[in-house]
Amino acid sequence: MEEKTKAGSKRTKLGFWKWAIASIVLRLILSYFSKYLNLSSRPEVSTPLTSLRRLAEGYWLKQLSISPYSGSMYHGSPLLLSILGPLTAKKIEGHASHLLCSLVSVIADFISAILIRATGHILVTAHGHSLKALGLDKLFKDTEILPSGDIAALVYLWNPFTIISCIGFNTSPIENLFVILSLYGASAGLVPLAAFGWVIASHLSLYPLVLVIPVIFLLGYGLDAPPRKLFVQSNLLVGEERSKDQVGVKNKPIKTTNFAWRRVVLFFFWATIWITYVLILCAISMKDYGGLAEMFKRTYGFTLTVKDLSPNIGVLWYFFAEVFDFFRNFFVIVFHVNILFMILPLAIRLNHRPCFLVFVYLAISSMLKSYPSVGDSALYLSLLVLFVNELSEMKLSFFLFCGYVGVSLLSPVMHNLWIWRGTGNANFYFATAMAYASFQIILVVESVSAMLNYDRKIRKLCTTPL
Amino acid sequence: MAETEPAVKSKPRPIMRISLFLVSHSLLFSVVCCTAGIVALLILPLLAKNTYISENALMPGSASPMLSNDDASDGYRFYNRIMDLDAKTTIAGNEIPELIAEHIKELDGEVNYHKFLPISNKFHPLHFFLGPDAGIIQENFTCSSYGINTVGIIRAPRGDGKEAIVLVTPYNSTKITTGEALSLGIAYSVFSLLSRVTWLAKDIIWLASDSKHGEYAAVSAWLRDYNTLSFGDLKLQDEMCSPSISNGFRRAGTMAAALIIKVADSSMEFEKDNLKIYAEASNGQMPNLDLINIVNYLAVHGQGLQVRVEKIWSLLDSWWLKILGQLLELLGSVAKTLNPQWKFGIPVADYVEGSATLASSLYNQALGVPTGPHGAFRDYQVDAITMEISPKFYSSQRALFLLRVGRLIEGVVRSVNNLLEKFHQSFFLYLMTSPSRFASVGVYMIAFALLVAPLPLVATSLFSDASNSKPEKDEISSKSLPTFTSWKWLSAAKTVLFVHLWSATVTLLPYFISKIPNSTPSFNFLSWIELSLASFLFMYAIPGSFSSSSTTQPQRNEWALLKSVTIAAAFIGLCLMSVINFATAEIGALLLVPMCLTVLPLRLDLKEKPVRAFVRRACNVLLVFLGFPPIIFLLLKGALDGFSSVGFGDFWNWAESLWAWNSATYIYMCMVHLPCWVLCIRTLLHRC
Repeated sequence: MEEKTKAGSKRTKLGFWKWAIASIVLRLILSYFSKYLNLSSRPEVSTPLTSLRRLAEGYWLKQLSISPYSGSMYHGSPLLLSILGPLTAKKIEGHASHLLCSLVSVIADFISAILIRATGHILVTAHGHSLKALGLDKLFKDTEILPSGDIAALVYLWNPFTIISCIGFNTSPIENLFVILSLYGASAGLVPLAAFGWVIASHLSLYPLVLVIPVIFLLGYGLDAPPRKLFVQSNLLVGEERSKDQVGVKNKPIKTTNFAWRRVVLFFFWATIWITYVLILCAISMKDYGGLAEMFKRTYGFTLTVKDLSPNIGVLWYFFAEVFDFFRNFFVIVFHVNILFMILPLAIRLNHRPCFLVFVYLAISSMLKSYPSVGDSALYLSLLVLFVNELSEMKLSFFLFCGYVGVSLLSPVMHNLWIWRGTGNANFYFATAMAYASFQIILVVESVSAMLNYDRKIRKLCTTPL
Repeated sequence: MAETEPAVKSKPRPIMRISLFLVSHSLLFSVVCCTAGIVALLILPLLAKNTYISENALMPGSASPMLSNDDASDGYRFYNRIMDLDAKTTIAGNEIPELIAEHIKELDGEVNYHKFLPISNKFHPLHFFLGPDAGIIQENFTCSSYGINTVGIIRAPRGDGKEAIVLVTPYNSTKITTGEALSLGIAYSVFSLLSRVTWLAKDIIWLASDSKHGEYAAVSAWLRDYNTLSFGDLKLQDEMCSPSISNGFRRAGTMAAALIIKVADSSMEFEKDNLKIYAEASNGQMPNLDLINIVNYLAVHGQGLQVRVEKIWSLLDSWWLKILGQLLELLGSVAKTLNPQWKFGIPVADYVEGSATLASSLYNQALGVPTGPHGAFRDYQVDAITMEISPKFYSSQRALFLLRVGRLIEGVVRSVNNLLEKFHQSFFLYLMTSPSRFASVGVYMIAFALLVAPLPLVATSLFSDASNSKPEKDEISSKSLPTFTSWKWLSAAKTVLFVHLWSATVTLLPYFISKIPNSTPSFNFLSWIELSLASFLFMYAIPGSFSSSSTTQPQRNEWALLKSVTIAAAFIGLCLMSVINFATAEIGALLLVPMCLTVLPLRLDLKEKPVRAFVRRACNVLLVFLGFPPIIFLLLKGALDGFSSVGFGDFWNWAESLWAWNSATYIYMCMVHLPCWVLCIRTLLHRC
């Protein structure tokens, strides 16, 4: 998880590129041997939604002029089928067909890392600006602001979860890429890009739909900063002092507290365009196989109704395998509303930190989604590292690290015990899934409270006279 | 875990208070827990329960045996023919399989031959995670290198062909011994009976396996082909080798149970015929206890055999076990006078015997190497045991012996035949203390849990001490600025990570070393150590090149953080191993826990008395010395077998057998124990 944070700290750009290229080389080597690692059949890595083997199956069905969704094999987007499908069937002289797809994953991972890095740079700059605006820059002068973008990108590239999901022959690197693209677009102020990333990410895996709230905040209020109240206060304070001393400096860019409605409207305009575009493309490709209704039923319907109960690292499969059919619909609603319940309070509490809000939403949805995989954790863990400056006082980090390591080692062993040896049973495996969920909860709780503490500290520093 | 909260805050929740209390008294707590863990292990023979038949459907012994004298004498005749054949012919090969096949055909059974090639021992330590695979290695081979298994199948008159019971009789086709021929005779007499009975609901497979290439290899080759659909690889060579043998592979249903029947050479040691049960499969897996129970029940109550399981003989004469046993007996009798309801005392002899059996059970499970051909079945989730019967007879009583053992087998088959589903009712995780007593997972886990419980506590207390006792800088900076105090463990974690990466290379080194032709074990062992050292220095140089910035100011408490992370790693590793193979984890914990908990830097000045400091240092050095796997192995081997027989290369041979059998113990030793040992040395030599 965070083992590379230190290695990445205080390093120049050269270090970043060296390590980034090393990680790409490692991926290429591992993906060459991925046939022996057999990761694509692991339940932790590929889910019914993301498995490329299922995609290949869907592609063949489509080649035979059968609906790709027939037989409950494929549940992804029809666009992905058209783009990645030919790659699954193509072979480079003698090598297995997985190489091309792995290459796509590697490229996706690399682009994601670059985008994370760029987002991190923007965030660090914004961090510095907001500290300056609050007049706290002198206080923080002797501590170095870590280049969180570099660290986060390296964590993303070297996280074992990312590596495993990259060579595990599935589409989660691509889904992650679009989430990050949307985040980058929003934080860099590129409205069309943000809308594009959001639409595609939601189209591919549905859950990024909730990211619309942080993206709106990002576009409306600007980047992560201490609570806006403080700026108003300190504007008054600084304004008074400075107007006495030097009048000319007053016009420097001070953080605006107004909501930029124009950009948000623009965002929705672009989002509508992209949605229409995607739907038209889908409709074209699904023309002969039941149209859009069929697609919605087989992709989003499949995700929301939790049809596939094969074991994964989430908690839903076990529950729905046990629950009586009579209650099933009720609990499907309960579980999904769980995600929605948390959106509003968090949005209110963290509206001044939209990027952090993205992390929290992603972590919560990866905990409660119907078919989670380690690729989801890879994404939110590296987003967490973007806030390494703010979260420097986070508690329980070591405990969480040990927990993640322990669970990710124990989970395959329990699976082996259950499936291969027959001496364990489903409860053994589900126990690790529950432990994993608890660790994610603790991570979210601890990081949010660390963030709020940081804000409190800033407020205290602002209000106390220097 | 819980970083200590400032006391000014409101009262923490009870669970936090308990954990804070435990963390602050971690020294006392760890001493108590470790002692209790060792004591719990020593009194396991007392806590063992009597076995009982858990699955009601089995109903062993409820039907009177049908095997008659005629069947037994048929078997005896069959035995004689095999022995004649062996005496007459000198050519190794098809005679015995053909004889068996002929007899099976006479009984209206289906028969086929299964030819297989020995599979060379490959380095495959990760095989454990992948499940059984179907890899067949094609090498240069001649016809005589084939092993030929003979498979006879009786279709059950009342079955649907979906389930089967397997009888296995290993024999060496090149040189058959009396015992092997007798086991064939037993199987034949049972088989001939079963071909006539009407109550059979599961098919019977008789596998006369050719143990030319080892008993295990023959059975595992047959099982692999049985469970994989394609059987094309060997078909091509049929005509070339033996045209007369048909090669259509025959199958029955899924296997409910398998019995491996072996007859040992006659022994005069015991007053009765005795039956020895081997049950340990790879990685300490055991068959369902019910299978052992019915065999034990029928052998003791039905046929009056004496049943034994393996034990470590040298422990039987050890004085300290006897003293311990007497102490426990005394305690038991005292407890009985206090309250007649408390009956936990057992006689000294029972205790010593139970301990010796338990030790053997632990050792065999910890090795992770199957103790017989039954291990191959366990890889396919089939419950199987090896029954080794050592007769006490003179040649005239052979027919009688065949009758008794045949009836035992018939009883077991009849009992398993009653099963409606797989064996699932009874335990899979247990240790035997005698054929009729066992310690189940719920009991033996206590000892292990007590032993490892101090690890997280000590790690937490060290961690919180190291994080909180940072010398305070000036007021403002400690109050306002991000000091990254909660992330200080990252550098220690990096060290631990690098050591574990190094241990992964050490794990893989024997793969290359074993390719060196004509090398002695001692040479291999030495080169293993040298290459490991070289790679360690190499690894040490790499992080040193870029971590210079991080070690600008050597912190006082760096060793404490390192020790804390080491202990956390050891805890995760031990817990993981206890799930994979409990016995390894238990033995490993006995070695690892004291070493990890007590280790302190040698140069650390605690301001204590010189004698105490010396004792502490000597203790540390001794524990670390014992913690090195080859040393503890050679010492234990010397203590059990006598030091004269111990050679330097023994460890290599042992490790080689571990990885050849895909034992998880090997991975544990190299990737959990070894890095923790190295990190302990690192802590020991830390500059303060």
